[in-house]
Amino acid sequence: MQLEAMDRELMCSGHVGCPGCGATIAMRFMLKALGEKTVMVLPACCWSVIAGPFPQSSLKIPVIHTAFETGGATASGVRAALDMRGDEETTVVTWAGDGGTFDIGFQALSGAVERNENFIYICYDNEAYMNTGIQRSSSTPYGAWTTTTSGSDWKKLRKKNIVEALVAHRIPYAATANIAYPEDLVRKVKKAKEVKGSRFLHIYASCPTGWRIPSEMSIKIARMAVQTNIFPLYEVENGVNYTINVKPREYLVREYFKLQGRFRHLSEEDLDQIQAMVNEDWELLLRKAGEHA
Amino acid sequence: MKKVLEGSQAVAEAVRLAKVQVISAYPITPQTHIVEILSDYVTSGRMNAKYLRVESEHSCMAALIGAQSTGVRTFTATCSQGLALMHELLHWASGARLPIVMGEVNRALAPGWNIWSDQTDSLAQRDTGWMQLYCEDSQEVLDTTILAYRLAERVNLPAMVVLDAFFLSHTYEPVDVPEQEEVDRFLPPYNPVFILDPKHPYSLSPLVTPNAYLEMRHDIALAMEDALAIFDEVEGEFARILGRRYGVVEEVNCDDADIIFVTSGTVTSTARLALEELRSRGEKVGALKIKLFRPFPVEAVRRALSKAWKVIVVDRNFSFGASGIFAQEVRAALCNAPGHPPVFGYIAGLGGRDITMQMLSDIYFEVKRSEAPRRESVWVGLQEVKRAT
Amino acid sequence: METPTALQNILYMPRTSTTTESNKTGSWRFLRPRYEEKTSPCSAACPAGEDIARIEMLITQGAFKEAWETILMENPLPGVCGRVCYHPCEGRCNRREFDAAVAIHTLERFLADAAARNETKPALPRQPATGRQIAIIGSGPAGLSAAWFFNILGYETEIFEAMPAAGGMLRWGIPAYRLPEAVLNAEIARIEAQGVRIRTGEAVSAARFEEMRKSYDALFLGCGYWRDRPLDIPGAAGPGVEDGLSFLREIRGGVKRDVPGLSAVIGGGNTAIDVARSIIRRGGRAIIVYRRRREDMPAFTEEVQSAREEGVELRELLAPVRIDAGGGDCVLTLQPMAIAGQDRDGRGKIVPAAEAPVTITVQRIFTATGAGAAAPWHNPPVPGAPGAICSLSHCVLLQDDRGAPVVYGGDLATGDKNVTQAIASGKQAALALDVFFRHGAGSMRERLASCLVGGGPSLSLEIYLGGPRRERNAHIVTYEEINADYFQYEPRVVQPRLLIEERHSSFDEIELKISAHTAMREAGRCFNCGICNGCDNCYLFCPDVSILRSRDMSDRHIDYEYCKGCGLCVVECPRNAMTLDEEGTP
Repeated sequence: MQLEAMDRELMCSGHVGCPGCGATIAMRFMLKALGEKTVMVLPACCWSVIAGPFPQSSLKIPVIHTAFETGGATASGVRAALDMRGDEETTVVTWAGDGGTFDIGFQALSGAVERNENFIYICYDNEAYMNTGIQRSSSTPYGAWTTTTSGSDWKKLRKKNIVEALVAHRIPYAATANIAYPEDLVRKVKKAKEVKGSRFLHIYASCPTGWRIPSEMSIKIARMAVQTNIFPLYEVENGVNYTINVKPREYLVREYFKLQGRFRHLSEEDLDQIQAMVNEDWELLLRKAGEHA
Repeated sequence: MKKVLEGSQAVAEAVRLAKVQVISAYPITPQTHIVEILSDYVTSGRMNAKYLRVESEHSCMAALIGAQSTGVRTFTATCSQGLALMHELLHWASGARLPIVMGEVNRALAPGWNIWSDQTDSLAQRDTGWMQLYCEDSQEVLDTTILAYRLAERVNLPAMVVLDAFFLSHTYEPVDVPEQEEVDRFLPPYNPVFILDPKHPYSLSPLVTPNAYLEMRHDIALAMEDALAIFDEVEGEFARILGRRYGVVEEVNCDDADIIFVTSGTVTSTARLALEELRSRGEKVGALKIKLFRPFPVEAVRRALSKAWKVIVVDRNFSFGASGIFAQEVRAALCNAPGHPPVFGYIAGLGGRDITMQMLSDIYFEVKRSEAPRRESVWVGLQEVKRAT
Repeated sequence: METPTALQNILYMPRTSTTTESNKTGSWRFLRPRYEEKTSPCSAACPAGEDIARIEMLITQGAFKEAWETILMENPLPGVCGRVCYHPCEGRCNRREFDAAVAIHTLERFLADAAARNETKPALPRQPATGRQIAIIGSGPAGLSAAWFFNILGYETEIFEAMPAAGGMLRWGIPAYRLPEAVLNAEIARIEAQGVRIRTGEAVSAARFEEMRKSYDALFLGCGYWRDRPLDIPGAAGPGVEDGLSFLREIRGGVKRDVPGLSAVIGGGNTAIDVARSIIRRGGRAIIVYRRRREDMPAFTEEVQSAREEGVELRELLAPVRIDAGGGDCVLTLQPMAIAGQDRDGRGKIVPAAEAPVTITVQRIFTATGAGAAAPWHNPPVPGAPGAICSLSHCVLLQDDRGAPVVYGGDLATGDKNVTQAIASGKQAALALDVFFRHGAGSMRERLASCLVGGGPSLSLEIYLGGPRRERNAHIVTYEEINADYFQYEPRVVQPRLLIEERHSSFDEIELKISAHTAMREAGRCFNCGICNGCDNCYLFCPDVSILRSRDMSDRHIDYEYCKGCGLCVVECPRNAMTLDEEGTP
């Protein structure tokens, strides 16, 4: 896989990300797509730590760390200030985890995109509050173990569909992306860069530590999430035009679940039920894209 | 040029003259007039600024932190619930050394919903590292807002300019509005030390381990000390160009006073009248208006109050489980001064209840005939209430 | 204590000023990845040990000349093999477990044809001249191969060929519709252009052979099996019965021999098939009679299939009993056979069936039931004979006091008798003799063993000469070790062929060429098992930016100061060109 402009590195070695961390892979691709003229807003998440302790930074762009809930709001301020300084070229990007997007940060995000603030909001999703030790979030998928949904109390609620929530705001561009599909991810980030207004990307980022998977499986499992239709790759423009980017081979979801320790407790009936849920969601998405199963 | 302005308008004029570049606010009575006027100035082009209509006060402060960190002058206004909601980020703004200026319209905290004047909201934020300047009238509000930018940008700390809900925000007074060139001479363009700039990339507010955090906090403490140290110099410059100054405190007839009232905000103007009346009856009474609350002007307070035999502090606020907050601060300032006078703390006017000249006079006479305070805090004008059974 | 005011210093606040690069996260590691190329199953299965994974990679990149030279390093006759080899490589291709094997055979031919069309001259490494002279008897595939490798190794080489033109079985035994004359001529010309001298029309007698043993430093006997084995049944020596190989030789010699009517061909090998298909082209009909079953035939399956397509009839389980000639016809009496158990070689054991014999009437009968050495002295010595005898997998080396050492190769010494094994035999002989001269006979087995491909039996010249291939691990990559996520289903190329009607009317080559575009696409299906093809997955997916590339993208190396040993690079390498060791293993 050869990608142009993939040679510049805006992320350094020496960061403290776990071995095999999907969030670092996502960041690396994203930075390659956006380039140097970027200011990043970084609310509390794993990356707050991976970005390096004072006085070190593992990122070669300006970054403002902010409080957990403020990803959308801080970016609004940065954008306004850049515009007032006469700089309309520099991209403002918020890089937040699922906690700072789906839950505590949702208000600020919704507010910012409702105002159609001119920035890119990227959520890298490892499906729980990983930085504080694997507690559940509203992006934790149905069936998962976390430290706050443990034993028989595994999460029996669906993952919040954040893209749909944002699409409802009719933002110019929303898309999902996945670290196992770098070309698609880079294309979408580059595409987002050229659009004005609020742009949202939801990136699937495997977490070996939190998902109980071997570190070398991060990419394979990420790919399986797309192949099983659990995490479809699609784009929505202006809140109405859906484009599905990948029509996968459609592996059974059990192939995905059985590779991860956080799903070990699921029975065959549970897996069947989840398969039905995934099928239903996929069909719904196909309909939105004007296609049929 | 002298104009008759609503207090809210005075704030807005100051913000306009200070050439603020990014404003973000969320409406809350009685701050609304300030932000509506500013919104209008931005839309009409009277101000060259961006106005961010955020969806909560917390987001408001976050947006300003983002904007100020990118190198522009910012402003917001809020009070009460809104200020309380911002609390987390007030700490952030000072920790990030951002000279944000806020108009704070002292309003009571719920529950019960009460939109009237009360100082508890701003004083509850006294630990956040924000400078706090209390104003007595609309002229002072306008002047202090402009001054606050200069002071804040000198020491890299945020500042809140506090005015009473309705008593100042919604009353009209004659105010001398300076010319833009005068203000420009006093307040140069914002020149930040560190900003977000792709040409010189670094990270702001990263993780800080115990081996560096202490020194960063100490730096903030030093900045507060500096603010106190340079206040007179900065105000002196203001006076030279714009003709007015207020001082960190103002002594009113304190030199020969036996008993001195300590007041802040609009209560001070009531106190001035009460003083006149008492003095006319031969009472040796004075008043100390506290303008600068953070940093607390310990020396000036000691100097002024050690002349008296007794000190009365009128607090339009209360710290539950302790006492009125100005009283706490005054007691703390005096406790190491040898032979200092006793401090009589009075709690009055919470939730916008009127503090009258009569009340102040009654307090004076009660203190005059008491050797020592009968209790830590005396609540003034308590009525009989029917309690639930 | 005097403390500085904040105004006296630049703000001390949370702001970064260096990078995390001072944090050497390599210390976290307990597993350590490294680049380690391994052996592809195709290259191990190839009797010539061609570096097939690399060849396909080069074709995909459009580097046709370099790909062709990679073949020539191990096999001097790609134009031949790309037409007549039985491609065991495809039988072991890992891609066949994904969708279908890569058409390696077709691609080899493509490269040879492209080189011929463009008159490309290969740039091959030559060892310094040794000053030694080698005589090679027979210019078939074994002799040509031996000559090529001796030449590369720095020996002066001469081939003595009895027939008027070189090529051996390639010319005289394989019909033109499988191997056109022009192609063969070009291959041989290239060998000559390297400096090999071929002396045609010079048969070598036993006496001359003994003389040559005194004037040359070593000799290679690649005479092949040129004496047909006659049928030992009544009437076999009578009129109407001909030797199949002679018939093929005749046609190749330019004789336009007509064979109208029906001819029977007795035998089951490639020769029998070639004879039958040549009959078709000369206007006749052919019927192959074989005493065993179709699946037991030594002929290549594709050959049998092609014959059937062209209208050759195949009759199995019929053993010839007698031939009665008369009136221009032959009556062939055949005993039906049946299978009873298995022979030692795994083929069905045949016994006469209970049925009565049957007869067929044909215009002539061709025998193609095997061949043997043309002269007894061609055969390699058996154990126990005088002299030091070293039997290798594809040749026999004889050292005695009558003169220079002799190597018996090609059909004379190999187990399976076909073109590719013969080529392997010539190479083995050249390498063995080179070791013999440089290090003595005692080192031969050991040194040859060190240049086996994937554990053998094929040898690699590149490994022998110490090329980069020497670094490869002999582990043969399995399909389970391939990360199939990186490949899409894609149908295997179908090589265009002449229509059946077109095939009947001439000896034109049946299989037609493919375009460069098609070749690159087909080569792109190759997994490149075990070798790095520069896909850069390792570089892309490293979370720690610990895989670095040189400016021209040719070299990749791991920055062990930061590598945490997560193993992503190894898993995402589609072709098992990386290995994960425990940290601390040397």
